[in-house]
Amino acid sequence: MIEVKDLIFSYGKDKQALHGLNFTVGDGEIFGFLGPNGSGKSTTQKILTGILKGHSGYVSLFGQNISTAHTQDFFQKIGVLFEFPYLYENLSAIDNLKYFSSFYPANQCRDIGEILEKLEFKTDFLKKPVSSYSKGMRQRVSMARALISSPKLLFLDEPTSGLDPSGAVLFRKIIEEERKKGTTVFLTTHNMLDADLLCDRVAFITKGNIVALDTPKRLKEQNSNQRVRIAYLYQGKREEKTVEIPELERGIPFRHDEIISIHSEEPTLEDMFIQYTGRRLS
Amino acid sequence: MRKNFCSLFKKDCQIMLAGKFFFVALGSLILYTLFINFGYIHYMNAELYNVYLYDPQGTQQEVSDLIHPVASLEELDAALSADTNGVGIDASSGTPAVVLYHGSEKTDNHSADYGLSLLHQGNVHTTQIVGTNTPELKQRKEMCSELLFIEIIAVGFLGIASVLFKEKQMGVIRVHGILPFKKSLFITSKLTVFLVSDLIFAALMALFNIGFHEAAGILPDILVQTGILSLVMALTGFGCTMLLNDFRQFSLAYVVIVIFASAPIFLSANTSVKMAWIDWHPFYHVYMGLKNACFGMPVTNPVYYICSACGIVILFLIVRAAFHREMGKEG
Repeated sequence: MIEVKDLIFSYGKDKQALHGLNFTVGDGEIFGFLGPNGSGKSTTQKILTGILKGHSGYVSLFGQNISTAHTQDFFQKIGVLFEFPYLYENLSAIDNLKYFSSFYPANQCRDIGEILEKLEFKTDFLKKPVSSYSKGMRQRVSMARALISSPKLLFLDEPTSGLDPSGAVLFRKIIEEERKKGTTVFLTTHNMLDADLLCDRVAFITKGNIVALDTPKRLKEQNSNQRVRIAYLYQGKREEKTVEIPELERGIPFRHDEIISIHSEEPTLEDMFIQYTGRRLS
Repeated sequence: MRKNFCSLFKKDCQIMLAGKFFFVALGSLILYTLFINFGYIHYMNAELYNVYLYDPQGTQQEVSDLIHPVASLEELDAALSADTNGVGIDASSGTPAVVLYHGSEKTDNHSADYGLSLLHQGNVHTTQIVGTNTPELKQRKEMCSELLFIEIIAVGFLGIASVLFKEKQMGVIRVHGILPFKKSLFITSKLTVFLVSDLIFAALMALFNIGFHEAAGILPDILVQTGILSLVMALTGFGCTMLLNDFRQFSLAYVVIVIFASAPIFLSANTSVKMAWIDWHPFYHVYMGLKNACFGMPVTNPVYYICSACGIVILFLIVRAAFHREMGKEG
């Protein structure tokens, strides 16, 4: 679906934002693009969506070179959720969606009412202006806008931002459903839980370079310290011990009466983010 | 493409209605119409100077009705001290002598000539009258063209900025970057809304202030000139909105543009002040085109129309580049 080779981009002469990125995204894959602020995530997404011109290197989408791909036909096949819910504040959710969907062929568009219902949008706000909506409601309308044209390739920038936990769960469920339909998802986020739960593969980008690219599981495994923490009871006392995994092959290597829990000390995706990018999540 | 344009046009009209822009334009139209019909044409009928004549022996036999006779030199002095712009004529010696408060040499000569001219009734010199406009119609046309020019360069310019800054603040311009339509349509739709609004304004302004019968013949020429000015100003407003960060910066640019666009033009076109460089000022030609259209003398020089078209195309290309830059900006 997406193929990027040696992608370089500079803002002016002295400010190189991307230093030769290489990655591919397969059909129906959810690909996480993770990195701190200013790392080049947005620049990459803008190049892929055709907003930013003037890159060098090879980029293809839908099997077509990007320099010729950004036609109306291309824009009909993509959906983009921006970092912020950009909507006409004086118009209602329905009017916003009617307006934005009017640019796509009618047979390609989903039913507005149905999609808003799926996103659990409060029906009594349907005809009220967006200026009266909460951040979560605006995010729902923005997601509806991105999905309304049944895109084959979906660019999502911080999709669960501004949502409460149940809203975040709902969005993840919807993204999963889209993938099941065959939609490819390019996900840009700081939310490591979203990336861990949703992404087939993730790339860590920092200072315009991809420093790691693999499945979240393998990235964690590769950086695991091969230890487990065991909580147990012995002679009525609760104790904890950290054990190297190879030691476990011969059984629990200490005296105990009862094992309470065994936790691997595998790093989280957030630990990986900090390790690869050298930056903490804010 | 037509469907996309209709969607954009409908949305732009909705934003304009929500922004109460039409009320501002309507308010301006009412204000200008009241000013021309109940103010301007009456002020302009006022006499240039009051002329006071002291002629105890009655030596001046054919004086104009505009002369105010006085009975004594003291009364003449009192009249002039109360009306320092007035002109006094002392004919007590049999030969008229002008008495006035000193202003400038040119004004004093003008006042004296005017005062002395009123000592004779009727026309001493034969004057050839050019055109068929009555003085009132001339004043109406003059003021109509001036106010129309001000309205379009000021209010129209501000109008497009107010609409676009809203869209810029809402971030929706960025969304248009990924929608499947030709991005030039976004600019064209805005231009169309403001062009239509300016043309309607110009038509109503001409009909209400020049008169239905008189305006009917010159309206097409007025609309052509209004169209040129409207497109230039809408594109300039569009470009400034894309390049400047907020409405405060825009307001400053607006003041500069309005001052530099209108002040030298009005001075050169309507007073004896002539600036050598005014021929290089593009708005001067557009203003003169509009004024001449109001007087039924449309510009026929093709160079003017070629230059206008080239200017509009160049502005459009600049605006399109600025618009693409805005779509690619960070949130």
